[in-house]
Amino acid sequence: MSAKTLLPALARHQSPALLALCLLAIVALASLTGSDTVQVTVAEMMIRVIVVVGLYVFIGNSGIISFGHIGFMCVGAYAAAWATAQPTFKQIMLSGLPVFLQEAEYPFLVAVAGSFALPALVALILGAAIMRLSGTACSIATFAFLVIVNSVYSNWDSVTAGVSSIIGIPTVVGPWIGFAFALLAIAVAHLFQISRFGLMLRASRDDEVAARASAVDVLKVRLAAFVLSAALVGMGGGLYAQFLGILTVDPFYLNLSFITLAMLVVGGMFSLTGAVCGVVAVTAIVEVLRFLERGGLGVALPQGSQELGLGVLMALILVFRPKGLTGGRELRIPRRWPQLGFRRKRLEQRPQEG
Amino acid sequence: MTMVATERAVTAGGASAAELRAEHLTVRFQGLAAISDVSLQVERHQVFGLIGPNGAGKTTLVNCLTGFQRPTEGRVLAGRTDTAGWSPTEFRRNGIARTFQAGRLFTDMTVVENAEVTGVSLGLSRRAARVQAMELLDWIGIADKADEHASILAYTDQRRLGIARALMLSPAFILLDEPAAGMSDAECEDLMVLVASIPTTFICGVLLIEHNMRVVMGISDRIHVLDGGRTLAEGTPGEIQRHEAVMAAYLGLEA
Repeated sequence: MSAKTLLPALARHQSPALLALCLLAIVALASLTGSDTVQVTVAEMMIRVIVVVGLYVFIGNSGIISFGHIGFMCVGAYAAAWATAQPTFKQIMLSGLPVFLQEAEYPFLVAVAGSFALPALVALILGAAIMRLSGTACSIATFAFLVIVNSVYSNWDSVTAGVSSIIGIPTVVGPWIGFAFALLAIAVAHLFQISRFGLMLRASRDDEVAARASAVDVLKVRLAAFVLSAALVGMGGGLYAQFLGILTVDPFYLNLSFITLAMLVVGGMFSLTGAVCGVVAVTAIVEVLRFLERGGLGVALPQGSQELGLGVLMALILVFRPKGLTGGRELRIPRRWPQLGFRRKRLEQRPQEG
Repeated sequence: MTMVATERAVTAGGASAAELRAEHLTVRFQGLAAISDVSLQVERHQVFGLIGPNGAGKTTLVNCLTGFQRPTEGRVLAGRTDTAGWSPTEFRRNGIARTFQAGRLFTDMTVVENAEVTGVSLGLSRRAARVQAMELLDWIGIADKADEHASILAYTDQRRLGIARALMLSPAFILLDEPAAGMSDAECEDLMVLVASIPTTFICGVLLIEHNMRVVMGISDRIHVLDGGRTLAEGTPGEIQRHEAVMAAYLGLEA
């Protein structure tokens, strides 16, 4: 009895489980090398998994491209910095912060929770306004949000230290902590995808008119995904701040926006597997190109080869695999478990009905 | 049933309006009238045929009755409730479902998921929605394709899926926009046997747009004829067949 219910359950959740195993292998291998550079690269990769999986929750399920999510990452990163930077620094440099933040230093998990909650709140307010827009207009509005966040955070000196940096954030995030939160992000994204909300949202992505005729409240399901996705991306930002130790506004702008979108496109924006694979593939290619730029094979490639190489890769993907490396499919063990489980269940039901 | 009870059931999302009524509907697109002063009433025990040549305004009328088109004048009533301002979603929540001429399936989803969507958006859990979706697929004859991608379905099966999707949670009315367009005669007749059984099986009134005259005459309880956006005639199939204006304007072309 338990085996019969366990098998379909395993089949249902096999994709995130397999993705988790792949990431585990990468982190374990990185730990075995013992090299600091590798550890840093892998930790950063895990953070990007969180960010791109967060992007996927909205973009993949709704079909609307967002250029603004790195703005949520920025909001999340500063939320974590406000919570964890040293009180002496905050009282001098960030005098505009509320007292409860200025005078205390909060533990890691509280900071992460803050970097999850604050972007979610911002997304709720922003989303309530812009989710009414149709596809392209909505994308442009998200881009405007990115620009707004960037200028506010660069200029609000008393709260964000403006163009100077926030220093003294405890650097507690390494590959393993990054991995743990990447798992959390993957699990959340997967559960959302198979939930009622995920189903309704994907229906509106495929055909909005038919979704409305099927009683789907398109605005509500889009907003739910937008808020959840902003929270995950913000959490990635919070971890990033506690990975770097020093925080400025600069990294949270166009470059990061485009590279994270590139990761999603390369992997395949309509599957969770695509989001994770895209991060791994693009990180690997960027690292190889960087290695060659530094003259790893004796001859140094000219500066900028890395950006160029990534551009060429993107173009090739768009030409030959427009749906990304995964083609919108999920990672699965190539046996027909789900079908088998389902047929068996129906056979059991038949006699009872008759 | 008292007036209060009817209204309460309707607003509670219960599919219990006794009739779906269009009163003096007019829709103008920039001065051009797509339909003018059309009134009709679909009841829950009926198959109500809506016929007329291309451009007669049949689809526009269905759009008005399901919230996809605001009438310029006139109103749509579900039971005694005025539907002014209802979105398509609210129409469906109040038990008024439709299919589309172009099918409009969710092509990146499996067949059973297509039907599940309506179930979950009306409040069922995914598990409960799946059970009901499977029952409907079984009823309409495509249960064996439940786990296949909707995009690879044969044309006739796409039409069947569209109907199954609309019948989730037994709506009070289902509006079928040319469900048999492009089907062979045999396929069409198979489908119409199912359509004819909807009022008794689901206690659900059917509004059927269909070009095949023989089919419409065979299964409709009442028929409404539109021509150039205006009502040409309404009556039982027998009355329509004897109606001179209809014979001249529409049936005459086929004879």
